Amino acid sequence: MEAWLEFGRGPLFRFCLVILILGLLRSVVLSLYGMNEALRRAGDKIVPWSDLTNKTFQWLIPVTRLFRKRPVYSAISFIWHIGVILVPLFLSAHVLLLFANGIGIHWWPEFPQRIADLMTLITVIMGILLFLGRVSSRESRFLSRFQDYAWVPLITLTFLTGGLCANLNLSAGSYQFSMLLHVYSADLILMLIPFTKVAHCVLLPMSQYISGVAWKFPKNAGDRVAETIGKEGMPV
Amino acid sequence: MNPLTVEEKTKAFALPKKAEVVEKQKLNVRYHVEDGLVIEDRPRRFLEAMAAILKHTNYRFALDHYIRTSAKCSRCATNCQIYETTGDLKDIPCNRSELLLSVYRRHFTVAGMLKGRLTNDPGLTDEKIEEMADSFYNCTACRRCTLECPAGIDHGLITHLGRYILGLIGISPRALVVSTREQLVGQTKNTSAIPVPALLDTIEFLEEEMAETKGVEVKFPVDVEGAKYLFIAPVSDFLMEAESLMGIACVMKATGDSWTIGTKNYDAINYGLFYSDHILEKVLNQMEEEAKRLNVKAILIGECGHASRSAKYFYNQFAKDFPLPVVNILEYTQAALASGKLKFDTEIIQERVTYHDPCNIARPGWVVEQPREIIRAFIKDFREMTPNRRENICCGGGGGTVSLDEVRSYRTLIGGRRKAEQIEATGAQYVIAPCANCKKQLRELIEDNKLGCELVGLHDLIYKALILSPDGVAWHEPAEMVM
Repeated sequence: MEAWLEFGRGPLFRFCLVILILGLLRSVVLSLYGMNEALRRAGDKIVPWSDLTNKTFQWLIPVTRLFRKRPVYSAISFIWHIGVILVPLFLSAHVLLLFANGIGIHWWPEFPQRIADLMTLITVIMGILLFLGRVSSRESRFLSRFQDYAWVPLITLTFLTGGLCANLNLSAGSYQFSMLLHVYSADLILMLIPFTKVAHCVLLPMSQYISGVAWKFPKNAGDRVAETIGKEGMPV
Repeated sequence: MNPLTVEEKTKAFALPKKAEVVEKQKLNVRYHVEDGLVIEDRPRRFLEAMAAILKHTNYRFALDHYIRTSAKCSRCATNCQIYETTGDLKDIPCNRSELLLSVYRRHFTVAGMLKGRLTNDPGLTDEKIEEMADSFYNCTACRRCTLECPAGIDHGLITHLGRYILGLIGISPRALVVSTREQLVGQTKNTSAIPVPALLDTIEFLEEEMAETKGVEVKFPVDVEGAKYLFIAPVSDFLMEAESLMGIACVMKATGDSWTIGTKNYDAINYGLFYSDHILEKVLNQMEEEAKRLNVKAILIGECGHASRSAKYFYNQFAKDFPLPVVNILEYTQAALASGKLKFDTEIIQERVTYHDPCNIARPGWVVEQPREIIRAFIKDFREMTPNRRENICCGGGGGTVSLDEVRSYRTLIGGRRKAEQIEATGAQYVIAPCANCKKQLRELIEDNKLGCELVGLHDLIYKALILSPDGVAWHEPAEMVM
């Protein structure tokens, strides 16, 4: 088991991290490149940049709009996101074991353990509520794909096992087992992010701009489309 | 919101087409399509059209981005008036978008094609096309859902694209196609098929009417070369909205700006915005030709939401060699008011008034405060609807559906239900809607829901209240008008 753990924390972690970074980089580059190409082909380059920037920040820091609709679900999701983003990045154990020992970054800041524990607990609770929210909402059930159901439990499991490992009094007998689950589920998360909806962690800041630029159409595209499908000369 | 009664539901969802027609066309949708619809090989033709569009236009990168970010949070369901009324899960904006996004994922991405092979997925089917044909025209294209999408997905854009693809395989509402054909290749070159002599007659009649009512000679200048503004109204105004046009003419008289109507093209309606980018471009190019012929400095669009939006946001994109600024008449009138060129009789309108924001001009935040400033200048009892401005609720006839008389009961019972309740809550006698599309829809909405108020354009009321001095020019020393 010890060897499996070492493998999960060491080589596999680094591998997943590389997949994560390259995968996300690919998505970002494709979106940026696409936006640039669209602008280059567009008939004019007038884009309401400031309006789009406002909208972007409205959803990146969603305090102005979010709670107006479905306040409870929104609050759960909001708190969940805070925990999910901050805890893995600034937990002291991660900073030491992963960033310093694993990939050699020594200057990374860290949270006090008590705060990290509290945030973990809150995130786990929010995860359960969020899952219940999705299952109990008629609309969400209708729209959900497999990944929409799977993501929250997977992340919650990682938080739960991580929290148990950080508090030995809770997991005295099952430390290694919890750790194994924690490490491997976390590796799985890292690897899956670029290929699933969680890619929004880096794509979200671009979304509003992309929706804005997509309304810029190239000149004569309609003629070319008609020509391609053999409908040229058919006016309407 | 009051739930739908069984009777209302039956009426709203009634299929106006005969069963034989549905069978013949293999298309179970409420709107009429043109006769002679090709039904063979629909999925293949759909995919070919989609491939051609993705190749030559700018949609592809957005679809790519959307399939990566869509989180299926269902938040858009809280902001769609159609879904709120029908409660039918298929009407959730995200689901509507998914219809097209899934086709994209399945047929235009490597992962989708591989997955399709592995799982024996048949891909796009006739049923799915029919579902899209129905769903994309249930949507009023008001784009209110985009305001609530945390992932920034523009469902309006996806519906717009879906309608374009469907249009290329012949699936578009007949009413829109027939009107556009008259506008582009017909004799009269406008959607209402009004010939020039009839237009000139109407104008003459309106001028006489204004001379009588206002006691001042007010003209509709026609074919004035070198005028500052080319005024283009939705052509149906000449048939149905005389007072709006007269109000506009009086405002132009008061400001003293040079303006003209062009007899080669006097129709701002652009159904291309609703079902085909190709037509959107052609109609705007036609407008450009007229602007060039008369050598104007700007284009002034009358009270019309979709015409204003298509001109403002697409005229210059498609302009061949005569780019121009595009001004909406409400912007113009507000600028005239701000520079002190308009004087109103503030006693004339005593009734309570409310204002409906047309989606196409309010959603982008373009024409929002201007009409309110004008209203406050001469109307005492003004009551806002809630929500309003950029967050407004659609009249229920957006996206071209208002022109489809066969779906009237759907529009007035489902599409406009929230609007009807909103209007009723204000207790207003006059509902202002500065948009030809909204005007028709709201009149029908008021009639079908027995609301007991009157629908007017903003310039209808301006026409009533504007005071012109005997020589027709402004009363005060006006400041420089910033336009």
